[in-house]
Amino acid sequence: MPKVARPKPVLLPELCKGCGRCIEACPKQCISMGTEINQASGLIPVIIDADVCNGCGLCISACPEPYGLTAAGYELEDPKDLYGHRRPEQEGPVTIPDQRIPLPQCEPLVLKGTYASAIGAILAGCRHVFGYPITPSTEGAELMAKLLPQLHGAFLQAVSEVATVNHMYGCGGAGLPCMTFTSSPGFSLMLEGISYMIGAEVPTVFVNVMRGGPGLGNIGPEQADIKLVCRGLGHGNTHGIVLAPTTPQEMLDLTMEAFQLAFKYRNPVIIAADGYLGQITGRVNLPETMVKPGLPDWAVYGDEEHRHNLINSIYLSEPSLEKHNEHLNAKFSLMTTEEQRSKTYKAEGARILVLSCNTPARMAKGAVEKLRRQDVPVGLFQPVTLWPFPIDHLKTWLAPTSGTDPVTDILVVEASAGQLEDELRLALSHAGIQGVRLHHLRHMGGVLPQEPEVIEAVRNIHSNQPQEVTS
Amino acid sequence: MTTATAFFHKFDRHADGKGLKGATTHYCPGCGHGLIHKYIAETIADFGIQDRAIAVSPVGCAVFLYYYMDMGNTQAAHGRAPAVAIGHKMANPNSIVISYQGDGDLASIGLAEIIHAAQLGLPISVIFVNNAIYGMTGGQMAPTTLVGQKSATCPAGRGLFEGLPMQVAEIMAQLSGTVFVERTALYDQKTRKRTRKAIEKAITLQMEGRGFGFVEVLSECPTHLKMDPMQAEAWVRDEMTKTFPLGVLKDDDRAPWFEMKPPEFDPERVAELVGATSVAPERYCTEFPEHLAPEDVSLKLAGAGGDGAQTAAMLVTNAAINEGFDATHIPSYGPESRGGTSYADVHVAKDEVLSPASPSPNILIAFNAPSLAKFGPTVHTGGTIIYDSSVISEVPEFATDVKVVPVPFTEIAQSLGKVLVKNVVALGALQEATHLLEEDSLLFAVRRSLESKCAMIPINEEAFRWGVKAVKEGVTHFE
Repeated sequence: MPKVARPKPVLLPELCKGCGRCIEACPKQCISMGTEINQASGLIPVIIDADVCNGCGLCISACPEPYGLTAAGYELEDPKDLYGHRRPEQEGPVTIPDQRIPLPQCEPLVLKGTYASAIGAILAGCRHVFGYPITPSTEGAELMAKLLPQLHGAFLQAVSEVATVNHMYGCGGAGLPCMTFTSSPGFSLMLEGISYMIGAEVPTVFVNVMRGGPGLGNIGPEQADIKLVCRGLGHGNTHGIVLAPTTPQEMLDLTMEAFQLAFKYRNPVIIAADGYLGQITGRVNLPETMVKPGLPDWAVYGDEEHRHNLINSIYLSEPSLEKHNEHLNAKFSLMTTEEQRSKTYKAEGARILVLSCNTPARMAKGAVEKLRRQDVPVGLFQPVTLWPFPIDHLKTWLAPTSGTDPVTDILVVEASAGQLEDELRLALSHAGIQGVRLHHLRHMGGVLPQEPEVIEAVRNIHSNQPQEVTS
Repeated sequence: MTTATAFFHKFDRHADGKGLKGATTHYCPGCGHGLIHKYIAETIADFGIQDRAIAVSPVGCAVFLYYYMDMGNTQAAHGRAPAVAIGHKMANPNSIVISYQGDGDLASIGLAEIIHAAQLGLPISVIFVNNAIYGMTGGQMAPTTLVGQKSATCPAGRGLFEGLPMQVAEIMAQLSGTVFVERTALYDQKTRKRTRKAIEKAITLQMEGRGFGFVEVLSECPTHLKMDPMQAEAWVRDEMTKTFPLGVLKDDDRAPWFEMKPPEFDPERVAELVGATSVAPERYCTEFPEHLAPEDVSLKLAGAGGDGAQTAAMLVTNAAINEGFDATHIPSYGPESRGGTSYADVHVAKDEVLSPASPSPNILIAFNAPSLAKFGPTVHTGGTIIYDSSVISEVPEFATDVKVVPVPFTEIAQSLGKVLVKNVVALGALQEATHLLEEDSLLFAVRRSLESKCAMIPINEEAFRWGVKAVKEGVTHFE
């Protein structure tokens, strides 16, 4: 056999950390520990006796450094020139936009709230759902498990909520719409992952069908995760848009919208429903169009175009992490100005507003209807976004520009120990609004405020309303 | 000797690529991570799959894997890399996903994720770096720390009190979900070559869609073992391999199976699957039942689990919505709906149901005595109570303006040969006693709900008619 001259290893002393693994690997014993400190690295590189070396290459495969010992060499720029500008970014991939596809015109469906939400997700283009069964949210996952395989999507039952949120982190990081159905204790378990999603800007949708707590509590309807979804999305400076549906129709509509918002802001969106909403059946109209999702430019999809992308929440240097936080907070500010949503019912001319969301808002709506028939000047203000709180909308009722009398009293009706009221108070405080009197009607533990109680509470406020407003 | 590699040519993510960091790793001299990175990078380049590859980096010293790998990168939360990897694989089945974890990440905090990922068996490749110590947090005990080995959190040496080392490759090999499990090392040329081969094998199995491949690599952490790199190699060879013997623990010959088609977005198909139809249901009602309530009729259906109260409630809701009204149904749910008591609140409204609960219903259907006793007194003035007179013998006193209608639901259903249809008897009785909708509205809903069980339609129709008849003729007991 003709003898082929094999290339000898190229050692770059600057990149050698002097670990000596190559010394043990070399059959010819031509490598030895060095003695001189390299001025660039401050380490002591090995020394190769090239005369003895036969180019077997074993030392290269034993070197833990990518470019310390190589066959081809490595063009190391002059270390003193390396501290210059970072090389320009390559041209990145282009975002493929979502497509809106017309749906056939359909008769109204009769759907359970969780089903409506699942169908909303399917219509929003979601074909990947991850979840862990928990009452009263599980039916959403069950429907997905039935339907998604027929659309070549997948429902994966995760080992836990912790695994769920991380499956979503991977799938959402790949740029695809994905979601989960969960309920309060499960949502608590997902918070670390949600913080990572916010940090790494991964869009995902969580449907949290809130149940009674704390602890195992019960499976009755509660709204006691409001503080969690509005103020406590894991560690760090975090926020996410929180949508609060009231009917199965809104479960569908807001789930669809949640995906749009999640991708618009590259941020998780939470749908906060109560246990009743998960289980209630009602009339649901399908929208006119459904979505075929595109693929965002930032996705780590696993193809040539997106090869250079990174999903990551690490910013080692303090200034860079501060800058990243400023970027995230700028997004939160934009959400706050752009995405406030609310609904009202008979609020014109109201001196008293009942402020309520989810199922209690329906009880409140019934109460308003009955009270209005008895000429009590009351209306309903229903925040649809709990975060950002729709304070800009509420403000217009508290200080109307026209000659009408302003609202003097707000009755917060909720199934929690004042968590919705706290959101209201924070929003009023930030907006510098004073003078409106706050009242509350609260239940906890799976009990919802009922229409007759709301009527009674409003009547009490109405009969005690003084002529002048005091702060 | 290959020179192809999937490393970035310059490590711009490592301290912005400045200085020597642009060409070196962040690892200590003699650390095994660099070698394992190298073998992964070479394998991916050799296989020509760099564009499809996604590296999921853990928390631990290898957290910065994305500094070096010129491929898609995702950095995962502590212990969750395999869960994240599964998310990626399902999002794009064509991607080649490498989940890279250390011993704390994989064998301590992430044990649930790795075991279930392995058992799920989706074709991903997991590289498990076992160096018997926590690196990044500074030399604390790992789940794989050897007996007697000292660490910052077992300063006297690991003993029974700290638990014995976890042999992860053996656990992985026992799981039926894995196809390939090998434990290798880096302490000499032979073991390094095995490591490179094992990584190739795991990735090949993924490329061929055969399943989950797991490579445990015994690695050196000279810094926290407080040894020089040569001593660390010797320690792995002489000490670690006693607890963690090298070798192929599993190599199943599984045929390629993994396939996921691209998701479908056909609107006709979606509409069909969600049960939507453009065919308008037949309508039988000409007006809202204002004789019961001006705008919103509330009902409560209550009984024991299995009485069919929820199904009957759903049928009323469906029928009312088909008629163009709004309607809602709230079931009681949870433990009580799987046994115990079961009740349903239903509203039928002219335009919109406002409050969907029924604390004082216009109509109560009671399937058993406790339900009648509990909810009878809540019935609205001028309302109607319909109860199963076959099972309720003692009827409490109710307000005089409440209409009370006894109907032997169970006896009629029994005589028809199927007790289960007693809730449909109740529906017939409801219709005749209240004229909530039209008979055909409810019958239409009953037939539609039985589309997949056509044989059951006649007996249900008969049950419904018997319910109507019983009210009409005042039948309270049925032989």
